[in-house]
Amino acid sequence: MLLDAALHGLLEVIIPANLLFLFIGVFMGIVFGALPGLTATMGLALLVPFTFTMSASSGLIMLAGIYVGAMYGDAIPAILINTPGTPAAIATTFDGFPLTQKGMAQHALVAAAAASAFGSVIANLVLAFAAPPLAKASLAFGPPEYFWLGVFGLTIISSLSADSMIKGFLAGTVGLLLSAVGMAPIGGDVRLTFGYPQLQAGIALIVALIGFFCLPEILISIIGKRRAAYTETPVKPKLNVIIQVIKELFRRPGLVFRSGIIGTVVGFAPGAGGNIASMVSYNEAMRWDKHPEEYGKGTIKGVAASEAANSAMAPGSLIPLLTLGIPGSPPAAVILGALMLHGMRPGADLFSVHAHVTFAFIMGLMVAAFMVTVIGSFGSFFFSRIINIPARYLAPAIIFMTILGSYAIRNNVLDIWIMFIFGIVGYVSTKLKFHPAPIVLGLILGPFIEEGLVQSILAGKAAGGVLTYMTLRPISLVLIGLCLMSALWPFYAKWRAKKRKKGE
Amino acid sequence: MINTNLWIGIFCGGLALLVFFVTRDLSRLGGIYVNFVLAAMGILSLIMMVRGLLKPEMIRIFSSSEERNNVTIGVVILIIYLILLPIIGFLPSSYLFYFCFNLYLADNRFTFSNIGRSILLSLIVVTLFYFVFHHFLEVPLPESMWAE
Repeated sequence: MLLDAALHGLLEVIIPANLLFLFIGVFMGIVFGALPGLTATMGLALLVPFTFTMSASSGLIMLAGIYVGAMYGDAIPAILINTPGTPAAIATTFDGFPLTQKGMAQHALVAAAAASAFGSVIANLVLAFAAPPLAKASLAFGPPEYFWLGVFGLTIISSLSADSMIKGFLAGTVGLLLSAVGMAPIGGDVRLTFGYPQLQAGIALIVALIGFFCLPEILISIIGKRRAAYTETPVKPKLNVIIQVIKELFRRPGLVFRSGIIGTVVGFAPGAGGNIASMVSYNEAMRWDKHPEEYGKGTIKGVAASEAANSAMAPGSLIPLLTLGIPGSPPAAVILGALMLHGMRPGADLFSVHAHVTFAFIMGLMVAAFMVTVIGSFGSFFFSRIINIPARYLAPAIIFMTILGSYAIRNNVLDIWIMFIFGIVGYVSTKLKFHPAPIVLGLILGPFIEEGLVQSILAGKAAGGVLTYMTLRPISLVLIGLCLMSALWPFYAKWRAKKRKKGE
Repeated sequence: MINTNLWIGIFCGGLALLVFFVTRDLSRLGGIYVNFVLAAMGILSLIMMVRGLLKPEMIRIFSSSEERNNVTIGVVILIIYLILLPIIGFLPSSYLFYFCFNLYLADNRFTFSNIGRSILLSLIVVTLFYFVFHHFLEVPLPESMWAE
């Protein structure tokens, strides 16, 4: 029955007109993902009206293309100019940009495209065949689980700041404090806005990302050192790089499979999103690797881990949406709107009465993943060459785009100033070896941690004990275990390396 | 040369103190998270300061006076652009910024070819982005303070 519906869905997707819509969607998605300041949500919202006149399956297939395309597109600026297109690509910068600096931008771009497709396919299979039972599991995620999931994300700092963990965690607390700017999610207090009403909505993530990652790089390399190009080694795209990178990823099925599963699980926890998925996945990839020292210095394994999880999150977030009507992410909320507009209500009906449309959408997501691999791999010839453009032409364009991107997110000039201030802080802190990545991590995870913490305290008091409520639930216990393991892993790895050296 | 650990400790400790004093009027629910973060930040700042005193790590922010001057001029151009943006509007300030920045990054700045190239590039890039953002995406870009 399920296989039949899936096959019918696939047949619907491969109709030439639908394939064209899907291609347009993927292409638009890549553009929206790649431009800092534009997001998948924005792209979907902008194109939903265009799907009114289409049939339900064609419209949803096109939206599937945009969603999947944007999940990959955000990796392009993350790899080339150290600026994540969306917050979900932050972990992609950790290894993507060092690869670009080594002249291996094409390797990173192909790895991102292929891993995105792998991650997406894994999550789509889960979505197609195991959505209903998993949707029930997503309801088991309560405030304590969100709190521990946020803390688990924070433990990546211990891996990111191998040179000084205290500096890393201190930077993390700066980020957590920045996340408190604006209206408190529970209580409604207006905090740290210093009289600016625009700050009541908090600091826009993309503004912080551009400020902390993009501007310092330009100030250090292009303006300060007057480097003629972004990368000292010019990128020379080659066809065999595509084969080589895909082969390399096939040799590591565990890495991609694990990342895909992490992305799917984080995706179906409503509200968690690609930011957490990619960071948790990156951390796990580093922890399970025999050579964790390669991470952060430019390895395709890091790019693949982040991108596979980030892209798996998209279908994952559709699990609670299609079965329970709970959107797991902001783009999923827009897709919910599109479903309603086409007269489809989430729930059992989607998998019975409207099964042909639902499976056309799911298969659309799957085929879009393959399109991303093709567009991303062959597009890498073009994308990677961008970085060879002399800095005197590229840098002003990038600064100009960052300013426009910071402004466009909320149409607010104050956001440009915030981006600029973060850029200067990022410049000084990078020079002082106080790396801004943990600051951004804190800023991203702060809202999850705060909501989880405050709601847990309130619910825990009502249940008779905050500590027992927060720690003794089964998923919480697993997450606490993972947090401890992740935080202590660098110490264990150091001890093991020392022991091995002694043995030799 | 500055003692990085000490200065980071002082800066973060100072920031924690400042936030502590301006958040004392928050309600209990609004303050729980802030207080937890401030406690962690205070403790870590103190550890950093002690570390800075016991094991100073000296770092130079600018490796040369040339680098300092380059960065300062770049930052000043950006600040002027941001100030001009709401005053003269998006298009004129962006043309000006793009032209100046392009010229500033060129090796032989004031040659006819460089000036011409910078004007042409600023016209193409700024106008292209203006059309995409203003007309296609309908983003209301900053207008001159004298515009109706």
